[in-house]
Amino acid sequence: MKKMLSVLLAAMMLLSLLAVPALAEDQVLTVVTWDATTTAYLTAQKEAFEASHPGVTIEYVDCESGNEYGVKVSTMLAGGDTSDVIMLKENDQVVQWQASGFAAPLTDYIGSYDMSGFVGIEKNYAIDGVQYGIPFRSDFWVLFYNKDLFDAAGVEYPTNDMTWDQYAELAKKMTDKEKDIYGTHYHTWLSTVANWAVCGTDYTLADGNYDNLLYFYKLYQDLEDYGACMSFADLKASGLKYGAAFENGNIAMMPMGYWQVSTFINDIKAGTASLNWGIVAVPHAEGVAAGSSFGNMTGVMMNAKSEKKDLAWEYMSWLCGPEGAKATASVGARPAWVSEEIAEAMASVEGFPADENSKAALLPTSVAMEWPVGEKVPDIKTIVNEEHSLIMAREITPEEGVAEMNERVAELLK
Amino acid sequence: MGQAEVRKVRHKMGKLERKNTLVAYSFLAPNFLGFAIFTLVPVVCAILLSLFEWNGGDPSKLKFVGLENYANIFAVQKVAEKGIGYFFNRADLGITLKNTAYYTVVTVPLTIVCALALAILLNKIKGALFFRTVFFFPYVSSMVAICVCWSFMLMRNGPVNQMIMALGIDFNKGWTADSTMAMWAIILVSVWRNMGYYMVLYLAALQGIPRELMEAATVDGANKWQQFLHVTLPQLKPTTFFVSVMMVISCFKIYDVVAIMTEGGPGRATKMLVTYIYDEAFVKIRYGSASAISMVLLVIVLTVTIIQFSSEKKFSND
Amino acid sequence: METTLHSREIRKDNPTLRRILRVIVWILLIALAAFTLIPFFWMISSSLKLDREVFAFPMRWIPETFHWDNYVQIWQKVPLLTYFKNTAFIAIVVTFMQTLTSSFAAYAFAKLNFRGRDTLFLCYIGTIAVPWQAYMLPQFIMMRSMGLYDTLWAMIVLQSFSAFGVFLMRQFYRSIPTELCEAARLDGLSEYGIWARIMLPLSKAAIATLVIFTFVNTWNDYMGPMIYLTRDMNKTVQVGLRRFIQQYSSDYHLIMAASLCSLVPVSVVFLCLQRYFIEGSGLKG
Repeated sequence: MKKMLSVLLAAMMLLSLLAVPALAEDQVLTVVTWDATTTAYLTAQKEAFEASHPGVTIEYVDCESGNEYGVKVSTMLAGGDTSDVIMLKENDQVVQWQASGFAAPLTDYIGSYDMSGFVGIEKNYAIDGVQYGIPFRSDFWVLFYNKDLFDAAGVEYPTNDMTWDQYAELAKKMTDKEKDIYGTHYHTWLSTVANWAVCGTDYTLADGNYDNLLYFYKLYQDLEDYGACMSFADLKASGLKYGAAFENGNIAMMPMGYWQVSTFINDIKAGTASLNWGIVAVPHAEGVAAGSSFGNMTGVMMNAKSEKKDLAWEYMSWLCGPEGAKATASVGARPAWVSEEIAEAMASVEGFPADENSKAALLPTSVAMEWPVGEKVPDIKTIVNEEHSLIMAREITPEEGVAEMNERVAELLK
Repeated sequence: MGQAEVRKVRHKMGKLERKNTLVAYSFLAPNFLGFAIFTLVPVVCAILLSLFEWNGGDPSKLKFVGLENYANIFAVQKVAEKGIGYFFNRADLGITLKNTAYYTVVTVPLTIVCALALAILLNKIKGALFFRTVFFFPYVSSMVAICVCWSFMLMRNGPVNQMIMALGIDFNKGWTADSTMAMWAIILVSVWRNMGYYMVLYLAALQGIPRELMEAATVDGANKWQQFLHVTLPQLKPTTFFVSVMMVISCFKIYDVVAIMTEGGPGRATKMLVTYIYDEAFVKIRYGSASAISMVLLVIVLTVTIIQFSSEKKFSND
Repeated sequence: METTLHSREIRKDNPTLRRILRVIVWILLIALAAFTLIPFFWMISSSLKLDREVFAFPMRWIPETFHWDNYVQIWQKVPLLTYFKNTAFIAIVVTFMQTLTSSFAAYAFAKLNFRGRDTLFLCYIGTIAVPWQAYMLPQFIMMRSMGLYDTLWAMIVLQSFSAFGVFLMRQFYRSIPTELCEAARLDGLSEYGIWARIMLPLSKAAIATLVIFTFVNTWNDYMGPMIYLTRDMNKTVQVGLRRFIQQYSSDYHLIMAASLCSLVPVSVVFLCLQRYFIEGSGLKG
């Protein structure tokens, strides 16, 4: 009995000895993110990184999505959290967290890191010439359309080169009130109506003049009056999701961010939707190059309090570079690093539309940022959004709303 | 009574008072310790924070700015230029104050009347258990679910509008997309959600009314209504005090319903004080100014409370 | 006097009028109850639909096909059982501590005279008035330095000593005649004795109220757990519910199903404590 116990104890000690060096070698890198369990690209990235970096484990700190992400992460960081890498959900966050001293400058690491694949969008994470973050995902806007509806109506599919007027005409043509078919669909965000003004130009929504938006508000109201899209008031009240709306099969076109691609692919694969869809470039304004779009990016920053900065950089540079981009693209998400090779990978994802136009839409000619970064930008956003909701709910005319935007933002910038 | 004796009595009374105070403190201690550490200290920090500029970073970066945060939220400069109208029609604080006050003034009496009526009706009616549970249901269900639900109910051609139309009133607009109706949507959901909660409070208070008082009133020939006016209502005074103070506070602090149903819109039609505080603290990362707005709220609520408090003292039985 | 007697007689003699009144009250109550329940019918029906059917128009009160598997999915998609256990643990401990400490403290505020009583009481109410958003950050920094971040104890210490309970109990104690305490004091009962033998038994309904409110509030709290609890093993039901709302898609049918499930424990607590709201169970004389 005693002998058995001593053997058992010895075995346990031996086991624990074996376990210790393994633990020491095994490095855990904590990454703060949102929707960790349900976001396909996060899983793909983790698997690919761990496979190419034996002994390193990625541990996601899963926060709530929505506005709460910023609240939660700001609070965590203010409390001295030592997670290594923080994902940036909004562009403003890098400015906020840099100002609070939470973001480590990447100057020492970036050295000869090749950022050419980001085609310049990484500049939105630079503050006074110092890079504080790098992007790994970049979603630009495309026009989704329902091929079955176009086939049934005998109308040609949308193309990669349409003006907004041509698009409006097409939307009206596709509208069929008897069959309850809408030509197009505008989600309730500011970006679905107003952001077209920034495509292919140097103009930004933070410039303080909103006269450029008038054309798009009028275009929208014309479509709404015609019945070519569901009314803003209804959508706002019902909280109808654009994805579900489009999957219902009675919407012919929908301008939306590229992220919707992976949702459609997954929903069709899972059998919760049956849809024959395609994408083309968003329409462009008169005098603006075809294929001009706008978009948003998602990136990573290094926590100034991280104790594993070198490893953190290793992960960040991998994630945002070509290798990470492949993992991101493998599940239908669009990486920030773009190249012919990546576009090929994106188009070859199972479930991606097979037509040439959809593939060509993967490489836009220019992508403007939805919002620039800057100190006053959050305040401007609030104002523009408030007036936007009044215009859209028809409480005031587009002219009145734009005048109000101009005046309130001017007051703020003074 | 001799001088010495007076002193002796005084001394004795002082001792008694000290003993009483000690006993009182011993009652308070378990709650107060936790309360002081986990709530009072942070609140005091927040009060001080309103005099600083802070972006939530290293506390060494706190910058003392005096009353600047207050000057900013009250838009002092602009008001001096353009008159007081600017504050109430343009400045965020003015607009949110107006909205919050409007919401509070309507919601508080409406909820109290509904809650009290329900409590009295359900005090001893048959089937009370069922009804009480039904009316308490809204309060216990999760906020997201009920707000999403109500947004749908109040759509342009949703069930509520259909009912209104059936009554012959021509109303064909989504509530949350209309500047005037959005506020009423918030009020409706608040009253619907909270009346059961305050009903429970009144029910509990009704249990405390001595049966003899009621019986005495009946013997005196008072009818039901007189009984209610002269016995029930006065007996419910401490509860009504509690209910009105809590309601004023919670109305001034309304946030969830607005955040989920209207996001403060359309425009700024339903932007409330706490929506504004949240915006300043977590979107614009100006903790100092967020604290300053909270202080405005604190001053309002304390004023209301002190007024009610002193009237409670005047009428109370001790 | 005469007129009231007269009217009383009329009523006594007029059972038909009484019956009519009662029927009217009943109809009113039923209408109101129906109005209260309509959103719940919608919740139930949505919880049995497919995601894209939830907001489809024209709305259907009865789903085309009943998707009972939504109620299975919610337990599989997120570790809802763990969330329920955590929430129950927090809610039970908080309710116990809150009821105990605040009924104790409220006695001092309601029935004892001591220096600084009113000031201290205003302090309590004052803290209720300050929105949590304003002092959340200092509180968080403090809690973190105590090592309570991402533990269930964080939620417990935050909610166990709230001013709300003290205020509520104080108001109930005030409606208990002071003469009762005086008499007990003359009988030689200590203050602790008065609290235990007179106040507590007389305030059963109040305690039941406080228990219900604390339990419900803790159960439904979202912002607190969202900020303080990070690891999956520590999250609560309300935070778990929001996991069905994601960046680009939200499963409202699952939110409705999970919300309905989370209604069950609170309803049970409410039903169990109902019997304390029977008239006359409290004070006699």
